Amino acid sequence: MATTPILDQFLGSLGELVQNRDGGKLQDFLQIEPPLSEIYQQMIAELRQRYPPGSDSDTALQQRCEGLVPKTKGGSSWSAFPTFVRLYFSFMRDVNIENLLETYNLLKGLLNQCVLSLGDSQMGVVVLPTVLYLSKVLAKLAMGLDRRPELIAHILRMEGGSDQENFEKVTLVEKSANVVREAFIKCLTDRSGTPGPHAKPEGKRKGIYLMANLCLKLLFQCGKLRNAEQMFSSISAQSPPLAHFPASQRVTYLYYLGRYLFSNNLFYPAQIALQSAYDQCHRQALSQRNLILTYLIPCNIVMGRFPSQALLQRPEAQGLAEQFDPLCRLIVHGDYLAFREHLSVNSKSAQWFARKGILLTLRNRCEILVWRSFCRKVFIQGGYHGDPQAQAQRGPPPYLYLQKLLMATRWLQRKHNTQPSNGHVNGLAEGEHHGYGSQTIEHPADPEFTGLDDPQNVTKSDNDHEILKKYGDYLASDGYFDEAGNWQDNAPGNLIDGEPELDYQECEFNPYATSTYDDENDQSSLLMQEIESILASLLTQGLMRGYLTHRNPRFAIPGARLRGALPTGFPNVWQTIYAREKEDSHVPGWVKLPEPTATGAAALGGGGRVVNLSGARPVGNQ
Amino acid sequence: MSNSTTAQNKPESEQPQQQKPQVLEEDDEFEDFPVEDWPQEEAEQATGSASGTNEHLWEESWDDDDAAEDFSKQLKEELKKVEGSS
Repeated sequence: MATTPILDQFLGSLGELVQNRDGGKLQDFLQIEPPLSEIYQQMIAELRQRYPPGSDSDTALQQRCEGLVPKTKGGSSWSAFPTFVRLYFSFMRDVNIENLLETYNLLKGLLNQCVLSLGDSQMGVVVLPTVLYLSKVLAKLAMGLDRRPELIAHILRMEGGSDQENFEKVTLVEKSANVVREAFIKCLTDRSGTPGPHAKPEGKRKGIYLMANLCLKLLFQCGKLRNAEQMFSSISAQSPPLAHFPASQRVTYLYYLGRYLFSNNLFYPAQIALQSAYDQCHRQALSQRNLILTYLIPCNIVMGRFPSQALLQRPEAQGLAEQFDPLCRLIVHGDYLAFREHLSVNSKSAQWFARKGILLTLRNRCEILVWRSFCRKVFIQGGYHGDPQAQAQRGPPPYLYLQKLLMATRWLQRKHNTQPSNGHVNGLAEGEHHGYGSQTIEHPADPEFTGLDDPQNVTKSDNDHEILKKYGDYLASDGYFDEAGNWQDNAPGNLIDGEPELDYQECEFNPYATSTYDDENDQSSLLMQEIESILASLLTQGLMRGYLTHRNPRFAIPGARLRGALPTGFPNVWQTIYAREKEDSHVPGWVKLPEPTATGAAALGGGGRVVNLSGARPVGNQ
Repeated sequence: MSNSTTAQNKPESEQPQQQKPQVLEEDDEFEDFPVEDWPQEEAEQATGSASGTNEHLWEESWDDDDAAEDFSKQLKEELKKVEGSS
């Protein structure tokens, strides 16, 4: 029988490392990524010779691995570990890295077993570095496969084939995230070491943010952000303070947390998390700083704070000024149609924003700021600013007739419509307004409905034959049930519902028929309603201050005598939002150090520790 | 495995000019830091620039009060026209 000197030696060393609980070195031994050194090649050759694939040699190999952990009465004390090592050997023996998908599956199985070994309350921590190492290789592989869909097209076909409708596709990246999350949970729920918010992380708890960050990376990659929510709430409930962990883990975690909050429209906490990630990030880590800024900047823009030139000129801001500068200028400018055009699907900027996952947020959240700028400019040019002479007397407050805002909006719409360079129509030409619906939102013409404006098109008689040929079984079927539920035969070709021209002359089918199509006043009142709504929204959000009158529509700015109409009616956006948000600076998902003054006394008494009362007698019982 | 998943950076001589945009375009991934931990001093910006450490990063006041700017001038004309006609 073939001897296995290298394998023997390898197993011997593993045994020692386990005994010494040297997790770092154990990971160093359990290499899987090529290029592997000569000694590993020799060991693989021994494995193939002595333990070729098959259940017999697996059993034999397993027996040898059992020796790695001390035996107890009930069997092995850490039974998951020998199985993991045996799987490691089979992996080394069988893997064919030419077949990436097969490699992925083998590696996932290996990592799964390693995570099971991590679960042991005494010994688990020894494999923590190995779990992290295997997770990283698996993540890299899954993300690589994700970018090359041709390599996994056949499994997608196979999996999707049977019951496509009920089947939600789980990508390799998401599957990997699920395995890594298991490891994260094992780290988070480790009971060893000192509990409570003051304790430094010990044992497996040291791995909480390493595993969380890797899992978050995968979840962001596969677009399953919702799955991160549970992670953040378990961290809030059970994790030691983030401050106890090394800077690299803190910055990475705050970056993902900030992005998560941003995509949930929680801009203020997102800004705190991202700003803190930026402040703590190593100044030479330009690519990381660049990514943090990619989200920190729009987060601030949404809240009315624009990046300064000093910030945009920093080396890590490379490429960001050309994206965010035009956006900020459009917000200041106040032309809502130019703003929409900038963020429409065809624009280059929109594609960049979409790739970063911030396009919809910018569209939805910044347009109101554009309208504020627009109203402000119309007020400057066409509003009543108050009578400076009549200061001492009680004159009317500054105001703006909304009719002027309406005219200015129409002017903007005409302006955009007459610019021939537009590939598409943004505004509406004069006299070409919708008779119904929104006056500020342009619906692209749907080819299905072309020609419907012309009634001649709808009931063209030469179409009748075609229509009957297609839908005759419905329009002129063999018979029908009458009102009493009795079957009535129908002569062939006879329209069951009657002739539209003859029998329905008196009826009006157009649901919008009451809005007379050519009446300019009517459309103006529709636009006026919209402008009133936009202003009401600005007022509710505190982005403008004053009140609206509906009859003889006006926006009035009372109490402007001291500070002037503009600062009173159009307060600073950031200061308004900040004043409102700063009341609650809590960032969900970020465990902070307990504040020394407020909770000091309670914490000294062991606050937060769970006292087990299961053995206590009920009051009054003996 | 590593070299097969990152096939694009294998041939080093190939398209050196394409590599630069790739770094910015493709790399949306938050990379691992080369070091585990660092003191806060190493995170702060070097104070080499003239403005010092406390340069302001955010503009809070950006409202446009320039009435001479094109858009405002056109707007003014337009509003005048309306006033004249009504």
